[in-house]
Amino acid sequence: MSTFFTDLYQYRELMFTLAWKNIALRYKQAYLGIAWAILKPVMLMLIFTLVRSFVGIDSGDIPYPILVFAALMPWTFFQESTADGVNSVVGNTTLVKKIYFPREIFPITAVMTKLVELGINFVILAALMLWYQMAPTIYFLWIPLIIAYTVLVALTISLAGAAVNVYYRDIKSALPVLLSLLMYVSPVIYPLHLVKEKLLVQQAAGDWSNALYLLYTCNPLAGIIDAFQSVALRGTAPDFSSLVPGLIATLILLPLSYRYFKRAETYFADVI
Amino acid sequence: MTAIEVNHLTKEYRLGALAGLKDNLLNTAARLRGREVQRRALFKALDDVSFSVDKGEVLGIIGHNGAGKSTLLKVLARITTATSGSIKVDGRIAPLIEVGAGFIPDFTGRENVYLNGAIMGLSKKEIDTKFDEIVAFAEMEEFIDTPVKRYSSGMQVKLAFSVATSIESEILIVDEVLAVGDLAFQRKCFDRMEELIKSQGRTVLIVSHNIRQVIRMCNRVIMMDGGKVASDGDPLQVTELYYNQSNQRIQQNQHEATAENARIQSSGEVELLEINVLDGNENITEEIVSGDSLGISVKLLCHRPLEKPEIVVGTHTTDFIYLSAGSTAVLDDRPDFTAGTHVVKYRVPSFPMVAGAYCVRVSIFDSNGRLVLSGETLKTFTVVPLPGEAKHPPLRTLHLPAAWDINNVE
Repeated sequence: MSTFFTDLYQYRELMFTLAWKNIALRYKQAYLGIAWAILKPVMLMLIFTLVRSFVGIDSGDIPYPILVFAALMPWTFFQESTADGVNSVVGNTTLVKKIYFPREIFPITAVMTKLVELGINFVILAALMLWYQMAPTIYFLWIPLIIAYTVLVALTISLAGAAVNVYYRDIKSALPVLLSLLMYVSPVIYPLHLVKEKLLVQQAAGDWSNALYLLYTCNPLAGIIDAFQSVALRGTAPDFSSLVPGLIATLILLPLSYRYFKRAETYFADVI
Repeated sequence: MTAIEVNHLTKEYRLGALAGLKDNLLNTAARLRGREVQRRALFKALDDVSFSVDKGEVLGIIGHNGAGKSTLLKVLARITTATSGSIKVDGRIAPLIEVGAGFIPDFTGRENVYLNGAIMGLSKKEIDTKFDEIVAFAEMEEFIDTPVKRYSSGMQVKLAFSVATSIESEILIVDEVLAVGDLAFQRKCFDRMEELIKSQGRTVLIVSHNIRQVIRMCNRVIMMDGGKVASDGDPLQVTELYYNQSNQRIQQNQHEATAENARIQSSGEVELLEINVLDGNENITEEIVSGDSLGISVKLLCHRPLEKPEIVVGTHTTDFIYLSAGSTAVLDDRPDFTAGTHVVKYRVPSFPMVAGAYCVRVSIFDSNGRLVLSGETLKTFTVVPLPGEAKHPPLRTLHLPAAWDINNVE
């Protein structure tokens, strides 16, 4: 793992250049340019707000549009950086076959690239907060940590996924399906406190309720989205009970995923 | 001081495609029933390769296609890993495996220079200081802010070569990249390579099929064959061996191709029994040295007597360029042929063709000039090159002995 960080430092300039390449490439010859980064979460926010007007989702004290936007920001970042990360090695076949540098640079760069788009979305968040007259609190300082955690989660899936994708392209087809399923078991459309109330307070699943809630929070996105909403909108510290199960899962899986990637890496150029 | 040390390097590839779900299920089923599973065959691209390169040495690597040259470079550049064996490298390796790897068509020349430089391991600061020089060398000042997709392929390669050679690494790997662009630019590339090698004292590995370039630039040459180091040493000796092997290979292919190509037209009166190629001592042989005496003996069976037949014996190339031919018509008293076997010998004192495969043709006419028999590609023989072939220029068909007089003309 220590070589991981020395590599990262040694190749930082290459990573910045590749990230710049990804961003520049995406918006070259596109009339709307970088605006596309904002369009996706904004459209989803509008659609979810529309849907909510039929089905009725309790959003507490927070207006629903801004609550769902604050969920969509970490979610979109996670979803897109994972998708790009998994395809990053195969997508750079020419480089993999021609030049050596540590291959984890591809998934890491893919995730880094999406950080820029996440940054742009903060402008929209600020505009929404202004519109709803919500002032940021000191808890906003949690946000870098929450994003760093999201990066780790995205890397956990990206590293192993990118390696398997080199051997079997099934991953490329399976991933969008899995990610859209994951969105429904993450508190994106509905806030986490509804799940908590149903399972922990009402014990809706009987004896299984507590276990089910633990399983639900093993999905790191459950804790991440709720924490993001808490520190940005509710002005409270994150709810650690919902963060811990996912964090433990990530800390166990990330080293495994990295080790698998490094073992597979030596054959990338032969198999790809 | 050793710059690169390669010890017992072996690289195996599995032949065939990766197994899909169906194959995996079938294999698992077979294994469960205790049957032998068919495994994909292994191919040794590198087979126990060992050598070392000293600092400042310029090593040429030559070999036929599939000899393992590129695999060796890939392992050295860490693009792929060896199955077994080890490599020790002292210094930074700049791979020139292929110039322009990772050029993005949508980016301008300027953006690509920075991107390509970063991929090759240059820092932004290094590129900043060298940028003008890179662009000037590639002669691309005018087009540097145009997207690369609008470049001609020559322009792309020029720019890529310019970036690649501006890397300051201790070890340079060059894979067949010297011949890019038009003649004037090739000249510049060549000078640049020589400058990198001679004045900066870098360790350089060159893979090339251009043997003359290899002889000129390298002070040592390794010949690879079938994944092994077939020969290692002085450039002239190794390249000569390579020439001989290439010729043999070509000739073997041609022998095989022409063996069944004999074209014979015959009236049935005469039958060819045997045709042999003879060396200067009348011994039957398959190959002669370029410029040596060539004899051809034709043994034929006449089914009925022939009065003063005219016999033509000649040679042609495998692609039917007729080279030499002699006719018994020049003889004042040609013998009559009785029914039975006869042997006719044809000899030229010197057969000056360059190395290659050549064929024998025979024609027989009766005294009235009527064609009795005509055959081509009846026998294929080989001309082997003179010693020191590597010093002779290519692009010649005849090897004529010549004398030189330089600066002595009064």
